[in-house]
Amino acid sequence: MTGLRILTVDDSRTILAMLHHTLSNAGFEVFQAEDGRQGLEVLRTQKVDVVITDINMPIMDGIEFIKAVRASGEFQSLPVIILTTETSQDKRDQGKAAGGTGWIVKPFDPEKLISVIHRVVH
Amino acid sequence: MSDLDEFKVTYFDECSELLGELEEIFAVIELGDRDSARINAAFRAVHSIKGGAGAFGFSALVEFAHGYETLMDQVRDGRVSMSDDVVTLCIRANDLLADFVGAARSDAPLAAEHGLAEKLQMAALAEGQAIDGELDDFDFDFTPIAVDLGKDEAETKIEVHTDQFADAPSTDLDGQWEISFRPHAALYARANDPLLLFRELAALGHMSVQAQMLDLPPLADFEPFGVYCLWTISLVSPDLTEAMIREVFEFVEGDCDISVVRLGEQTGTGENDVTVQVAISATDVLDPNINDFLMLSDDEIGAMIEFGEPDDLREAPLVGQETVGASIPQEAIAAGPEAGIPEPTSAKPIVELADEGDRRAVGVQSIRVDLEKVDRVVNMVGELVITQSMLTQQMDETLRTQYTELVRGLEVLAQTTRGLQDSVMAIRAQPVKSVFSRMPRLVRELGLKTGKTIKLEMVGEATEIDKTVIEQLSDPLTHMIRNSADHGIESGAVRLAAGKPEAGTIRLGAEQAGGNILITIEDDGAGINRERVLQVARSRGVVAPDADPTDEQIDQLIFAPGFSTAEAVSDISGRGVGMDVVLSNIRKIGGSVNVRSRPGRGTRMTLRLPLTLAVLDVMLVQVGQSRYVVPLSSIVETIQCSRAAFSRVPSGGQVLHVRGEYVQVIDLAERFELDGARDAESRFLVLCEAEGSHKIALIVDDIMGQQQVVIKSLEENFERVEGIAGGTILGDGNVALIVDVQGLKASDPHRTAA
Repeated sequence: MTGLRILTVDDSRTILAMLHHTLSNAGFEVFQAEDGRQGLEVLRTQKVDVVITDINMPIMDGIEFIKAVRASGEFQSLPVIILTTETSQDKRDQGKAAGGTGWIVKPFDPEKLISVIHRVVH
Repeated sequence: MSDLDEFKVTYFDECSELLGELEEIFAVIELGDRDSARINAAFRAVHSIKGGAGAFGFSALVEFAHGYETLMDQVRDGRVSMSDDVVTLCIRANDLLADFVGAARSDAPLAAEHGLAEKLQMAALAEGQAIDGELDDFDFDFTPIAVDLGKDEAETKIEVHTDQFADAPSTDLDGQWEISFRPHAALYARANDPLLLFRELAALGHMSVQAQMLDLPPLADFEPFGVYCLWTISLVSPDLTEAMIREVFEFVEGDCDISVVRLGEQTGTGENDVTVQVAISATDVLDPNINDFLMLSDDEIGAMIEFGEPDDLREAPLVGQETVGASIPQEAIAAGPEAGIPEPTSAKPIVELADEGDRRAVGVQSIRVDLEKVDRVVNMVGELVITQSMLTQQMDETLRTQYTELVRGLEVLAQTTRGLQDSVMAIRAQPVKSVFSRMPRLVRELGLKTGKTIKLEMVGEATEIDKTVIEQLSDPLTHMIRNSADHGIESGAVRLAAGKPEAGTIRLGAEQAGGNILITIEDDGAGINRERVLQVARSRGVVAPDADPTDEQIDQLIFAPGFSTAEAVSDISGRGVGMDVVLSNIRKIGGSVNVRSRPGRGTRMTLRLPLTLAVLDVMLVQVGQSRYVVPLSSIVETIQCSRAAFSRVPSGGQVLHVRGEYVQVIDLAERFELDGARDAESRFLVLCEAEGSHKIALIVDDIMGQQQVVIKSLEENFERVEGIAGGTILGDGNVALIVDVQGLKASDPHRTAA
């Protein structure tokens, strides 16, 4: 399970840094993007096993990003984990409707994050 | 702990940026732009601040940000309109948010009532009430509550059940669960995979799975993400609860039909019944024609799809009409092959991706680098430039003809070095926006304090300039804007009487002009009161009583040390330590300030700043036995002395007559007390433009060419020398001093007011 390549998409550098810390400690390779558009850019050039994305982002938000990922054909079976907050159940549902595979609530527990990743990746 | 501290640093950095962004957004919103993109951006900023705060447990900050976020969310959705009152509240909330961030940073909690009134107002607004003073009866509670009654109830029931029957004799079926699971196509569309669910279930206890095939189409019609199978899973584990099973299916809830039944309890009725059947989709009723039961291992299915000849299989159903049962032990699942039923086809893109993985391109658009590291590179590139030009200078004609390849190589090296230098400099450049964005707030505050209506217009915020310059820019800009608001712009009544619009305008602009950046601060106020300025200047001895300075010179006097014309010293412009500080700050970073004023029409101050502080394009000149460099950006033209028209002035100095203009002349040899060439006719004049488009002409013995030099500070290594801006190391390793044109002019002993 180590060596997974994970794309993290969030406009908050704090969250990106924390994800990076947790994921790289778990032995994963981490890619970062600050919005959906950058996320798609990374997907075009890097082989990625899982995507973790925020919903509220400038330029291209998480919902649009997930839709674009799913619409691409190439990434139909790429697991996408949505980062949500406890209070935004509707956002989570929207993200799921757009094609999100699973979700994790911010602020996330590192162990829980890893277990969620394991749940969606072979 | 150190990791956490590091995150905190990142977080607070980010907060500063987000708070700045908020301020900017609301400066525009305040002007009437209620564009939804802006409101969205504001929401996101607050949301991000809250998100990070939650991660660090800054509860007071979370609470305040949450209230603010909730309000912005309502505004964004159009449930609360962005009225002027709301805008004012938000601007206040931005300040409070900054307070809470500051409190979290310094670990100094704010008073409990800090921002409470605003919190209540925001909550009231979000609840659909108008802003009013009577908020006492409002029930205030911002703690988010997660509500999931169904699950909690189920869990509670199980507990009650366990308590009641803990000691009851257990049947064979104790701890046995049966799960029927039928995925919808949506489950695959979201990249979920039954195999992963089974793997997770297998970790809960001993599992056996029975697959049940639905109508299977011929292989040619087989949809990779189609649903052709449902499963019945039996799971045995003594301490299993339904909640644990449900959790496995958390992500696919709604994307499948699922029932979880505890065996031996199926017939149970009454309140303690824990059998729960949920999430059966009404749209997806089980196919009544299910008659094919199948249990295949993943290997078998994978093999069939991969190796079977499509032609042979086209007419026949993919699998036989028999029932196969198999028990999947835990380890087999965990170590099982990666192919689920839809996998063989869906795996293909992944393989393609792997091939493409070799392409080396990074999608991330920016990285953050410690400034110190960049500076180190800048420095080394500087040294490289020097070495490179040293090498070029070592090449004499003999070597040139002898080693053509070497010469070509050196030429390429020169080009590359130049390119490298430009690129490295560009790294240090930042848009002036980071400074400009602080100004709307300043103007707003100044407007409130002075009781004047002041508009701020900004242009050219994207203009890029060296980061060090930017850092030095904030104080001078603040001072100059204060000055404009306090002394420049008149009160509304005076303006109206003068036939001007009641609201005064301050215009802040940035543009690149050659190797310089021009920052202009322009107001449409009363202009500089020259009479008064001169009067004060005379009384303070800044100007000789008999001197008769021109209007432009009088304007420039406001930068003289210790000068203040404010009739009543206000707390805005300070106590007369304003504009001279501006000038010295700007000079320190190699810039100059020019002021132009038109009585009754306004004042424009122009800051001319170097694009970068580290490297200078210069002209190399010879004076006596020494070489000096003159910044190219200040040179207008060079003239041979033999062709120039000099005149003597009574004070003993010389002036040059050039194109109808008299220009002050400074002989560098004389000024720096060097033995200059005696033959005046062979010497050169370097005509330079100083502050305020005043020209001065420098007499030098010879002009030796142009080059780029890396500036070394004299002050840091020696001490400040009048007329010298710094030093540099030339290509041959010798040191040359950089002439400070502005400083020379100011310190010229022959300077006259004329």
